[in-house]
Amino acid sequence: MERSFKKEVELLNLGKGDTFHGEGILAVTKALLQSGVSYVGGYQGAPISHLIDVLTDAREIMDELGVHFEANASEAGAAAMLGASINYPVRGAVTWKSTVGTNVASDALANLASSGVTGGAVIIIGEDYGEGSSIMQERSHAFAMKSQIWLLDPRPNLPCIVNMVEKAFELSEASSTPVFVELRIRACHVHGSFEAKDNVAAKISRNALMTEPVFDYGRIVLPPSSYNQEKAKIELRWPQAVEFIKREKLNEVFEGEFSDIGIVLQGGMYNAVIRALQQVGLADAFGESRVPLYVMNVTYPMIPEELNAFCATRRAVLVVEEGQPNFIEEALHAILRRADIQTKLYGKDVLPMAGEYTGEIMLGGVTKFIEAVAPKGVDTARLHEQFEALTGVKKRAAELLGAPVPNRPPGFCVGCPERPVFSAMKLLEREAGAYHVSADIGCHLFSSLPPFNIGNTVLGYGLGLASNSAIGPLFAKRSVTVMGDGGFWHNGLSSGVSNAVFNDDDGILVIMKNGYTSATGTQEIPSSPHQSQAHRVTDMGIERTLTGMGVKWMKTVNNYHVTDTFNVLKEAMTSKYNGLKVIIAEGECQLERQRRIKPINAEKLKRGERVVRTRYGVDEDTCTGDHSCIRLSGCPSLTIKDSSDPLRVDPVAHVNNGCVGCGLCGEVAHAAVLCPSFFRAEIVQNANWWDKFVEKFRAAIIGLMQPA
Amino acid sequence: MTNTPYPTRPLTVLLAALGGEGGGVLADWLVAAAQAQDLPVQSTSIPGVAQRTGATTYYIEIYPVPTAQLGGRRPIMALTPSPSNIDVMAASELVEAGRAMQNGYISERTTLVASTHRIYATVEKMQMGDGRYDAQRILDAAPQLAGKAVLFDMAAATQETGTVISAVMFGAIIGAGTLPLTREVCEEVIKSSGKGVAGSLRGFAAGFAAAGGMLPEAKPKTVAAPGALPQPGDFPAAARDIVAEGIKRLADYQDQAYVDLYLKRLANIARLDTGDGKLAAETARYLALWMSFEDLIRVADLKTRKSRFARVREEVLAKEDEPIHIIEFLKPGLDEISGMLPPGLSRRFHAWATKNGLADKLSVGMHVKTNSVFGFALLRLTAGTRFWRRRTARYAEEQGLIERWLGAVEKAAARDLKLAYEIALTARLVKGYSDTNKRGKASFNRIFDHLVEGELSLSDSERAKAIFTAREAALADPEGRGLEKTLGQHGVKPLPPREQAIRFIKPPAAKRV
Repeated sequence: MERSFKKEVELLNLGKGDTFHGEGILAVTKALLQSGVSYVGGYQGAPISHLIDVLTDAREIMDELGVHFEANASEAGAAAMLGASINYPVRGAVTWKSTVGTNVASDALANLASSGVTGGAVIIIGEDYGEGSSIMQERSHAFAMKSQIWLLDPRPNLPCIVNMVEKAFELSEASSTPVFVELRIRACHVHGSFEAKDNVAAKISRNALMTEPVFDYGRIVLPPSSYNQEKAKIELRWPQAVEFIKREKLNEVFEGEFSDIGIVLQGGMYNAVIRALQQVGLADAFGESRVPLYVMNVTYPMIPEELNAFCATRRAVLVVEEGQPNFIEEALHAILRRADIQTKLYGKDVLPMAGEYTGEIMLGGVTKFIEAVAPKGVDTARLHEQFEALTGVKKRAAELLGAPVPNRPPGFCVGCPERPVFSAMKLLEREAGAYHVSADIGCHLFSSLPPFNIGNTVLGYGLGLASNSAIGPLFAKRSVTVMGDGGFWHNGLSSGVSNAVFNDDDGILVIMKNGYTSATGTQEIPSSPHQSQAHRVTDMGIERTLTGMGVKWMKTVNNYHVTDTFNVLKEAMTSKYNGLKVIIAEGECQLERQRRIKPINAEKLKRGERVVRTRYGVDEDTCTGDHSCIRLSGCPSLTIKDSSDPLRVDPVAHVNNGCVGCGLCGEVAHAAVLCPSFFRAEIVQNANWWDKFVEKFRAAIIGLMQPA
Repeated sequence: MTNTPYPTRPLTVLLAALGGEGGGVLADWLVAAAQAQDLPVQSTSIPGVAQRTGATTYYIEIYPVPTAQLGGRRPIMALTPSPSNIDVMAASELVEAGRAMQNGYISERTTLVASTHRIYATVEKMQMGDGRYDAQRILDAAPQLAGKAVLFDMAAATQETGTVISAVMFGAIIGAGTLPLTREVCEEVIKSSGKGVAGSLRGFAAGFAAAGGMLPEAKPKTVAAPGALPQPGDFPAAARDIVAEGIKRLADYQDQAYVDLYLKRLANIARLDTGDGKLAAETARYLALWMSFEDLIRVADLKTRKSRFARVREEVLAKEDEPIHIIEFLKPGLDEISGMLPPGLSRRFHAWATKNGLADKLSVGMHVKTNSVFGFALLRLTAGTRFWRRRTARYAEEQGLIERWLGAVEKAAARDLKLAYEIALTARLVKGYSDTNKRGKASFNRIFDHLVEGELSLSDSERAKAIFTAREAALADPEGRGLEKTLGQHGVKPLPPREQAIRFIKPPAAKRV
């Protein structure tokens, strides 16, 4: 794993009277244990990876409480695991990255929501919004509505989040319905504190087993049960949920001085709204606002009585709803219309329809709303000036800078084993012309960025090969699919490989075997080289799996040997074999590798043992500054600097001290016949007598021939 | 809203770093320091992916009144920064400070703490010429936008103190004095973090001092004094340093006769440069570079010098008692080998080898250990064939192109200095080795064939502009597509796509039974 959570695990042991200081997603994990869960599962992904990681490291506590924890094969697997709560009074929680994970999980979610649950079933979703997200234009809200799963969107502070997680289980049980708890990415990473409670051991757990299975045909999704389930959703579960939400006051009203206007907002937007009000002088540091607020910690279902009560006495209300379509705003229009309440609603007219509601966006929306409704005692002209002054600095900066600064998207790490494969693919492209590449989800998708610009389509995690199935037959040239080992085990094995073999696909599949799901924080997969305690007994090699499935053409290459990789790719392209050709590109994730070998080498150096450090360099004398090496690598460690040669105006290539000695730059220089400037330096630390002797001997002889 | 004596808003800190630089650690330190002083604090970040490269930010809010004095109230803290609402903006790299400016996060209330060193983005590095962002813009804008700007080279301070950049940033943030966090508390926080404590404390101290303006002056870069060089007084003032450098270079490359050839060639152009001397200067530069083209002899010579051994040792940070081995990645191909033969023989050999499919086979990747006796001797022997250079095919090829280039520059200089200048700069395209060199020359020839010597009816100023545009396009896109596009604007038919060497086997779709 990318991070060890041994220290954070201690936080999970806190009890009554202790204060928890830590990250949002860890607070959620603690809340699960305080709620007496019997099982927890999920699939990693930003921003909820840490929930899975910390539980992986928390075996002892989990064993003590008898909680079953499983890192599921995919989000669909995680959602299906909630099936335990259908018949049995056990609480369970699963987590994943939404909306991408929710898409994968939809099949199981639909059935779960139809059957209904006995024990509380909670799904923690890391909402994937704005910066650093992949599918930001979709909303979990739509899934909640379509399957009738309640959606909580708590105010982003730890006490509120923890409370809402605990309430989510109660709401789930009170209404026999699964519940989503949605946390935006920054809320997951927010660092704060809350007063802890004792962990609760569940009545049914691995330490207290059930003996009698429950059979209830009413829970099976087949007629006539399914008709009854549909009816129960509307007639029973919905009213039960509304009743619970009202009774427990899950939504909050904050009164304020301007009683004829108000703001209706998603809980997750609360802090941003307060900050915007603070910036225009309408709220203080503690959130006391002159504008009254109705905070929806539950965004689905909406509670018409509460909304009517909040709006009826006000002439204008602003709806702050992140994401599109604007389900909440539209629903509120309908609710007020039905109750014949004439309050004017503002929403997506003063705020943008799409995109993350950042500080700047919120400031703009709130300002426009206040200007439009002009509450008594507010100088709207001054307000506008204030807003212009606050945001004008951006324009001034643009003028002063003259040109926008270059973008810096995330890319492959220094020494990443995936980079050389794309160098080889780039070389093949040079020799053979462009070919279609079906990409997949994972770090390797960074190939689509400069300098490689490789990858024509991406359709989903583990779906690379499946997405190529109509492309291969329609092209005169073979096409290539790139898939990570994480994607392979997630979905690629069934949707991709088995389907391709079954349908005589003639494509080329490159599996990046780096050993982990690296993009999400290097979690273990069935074929990981270094398994933690929990999975020690497994032996699930990709090669053996593929052989078992009938893959006949399979080659394994060492990624860093660019020429070999190039040759194998070329061979696959030109082979007479008609069928799926799999290239397993092997190279351990460099992050994991460095994490492992750094302490070992440090220890050796300390003991005075001989350690050879390898790094690469560029001779600035012979580098002509054409940067073709960079165009075939993009390594962060391979950079440029001013030439010390007064005649050369262009910067020369340079390897900085971040180099981990993977050797790609030298290999590329060879494979692409670039230039003679690259060298490898092997630095012998704690040299022994032989090293020193050879060094002296050579220096003596070379010295005779050497010019200055 | 009640009237309280409390500040109406928290202090805000935005940290911009590149993935893997320890921005998260720095955020944790600030949080811990605030907590140690009982100040309400919140931090958030968006580290979505594990990768170590992209730009990322961490956002922290600290309420400047201890929790104990708040009577149970809790300030509401935001999760995203707002424009004009940042008290401390710290950037671990200069362009990241520029990005914060661009996003409206640096205003009068902001203390900007930024490193002046650059880590280039891929798009800056990958250009064939110089694609770097003009950092001076950011340095100039900083004092105009920020209330207070603390700018220094944090990377250098990091290296000097042997620590991580986040420690230096931490010190500089605290040293700038905008946050209510004391040095003692922060150092205590570092000590209790338990990892690399001594280094972090040194880095913290360096950053703290720098923010207080106490950093020792950076050592001036050692540049060879121009006065020490011979001054060829016949050239325009602007060109003299470059000519001197060129003379030195070519004497080192070949011999005095070669230097004389350089000066003779240059004299014609210099005579025609009646302007500011820029034409003479740039022609002098590119002529010297071109005449010292990198063939096997030159490379072997440069690789075996004492100064080079010393530079490598320094660059890879080898300590005095650590032996190092230097292994070169050499792969001379058919072109390099045949280039060493006399022109006639070279042509026949090249044709024969290509016909017999030896082009690939002759290109053998070698790992030569330059610090071994054998490897060194091999390279020295190659370097020793300098006397043979004037007879080689490569020499003939380069001199031919040089004459073509100089002829065009000279011809144009008689009419229009600007046009001559643009033609002179086309030589910038010819650099690199093997394929890169070939592609560069191909671009050079395309521009010469059509824009410099072609039949197009253009005025001199139009022609100069067209050459400029074409050259920039060729530098920005070394594959040549950009160049073809600009040539197309002048009615030049684009080159057909290159023939492809590999035959792809694509069997007809299998019949389904």
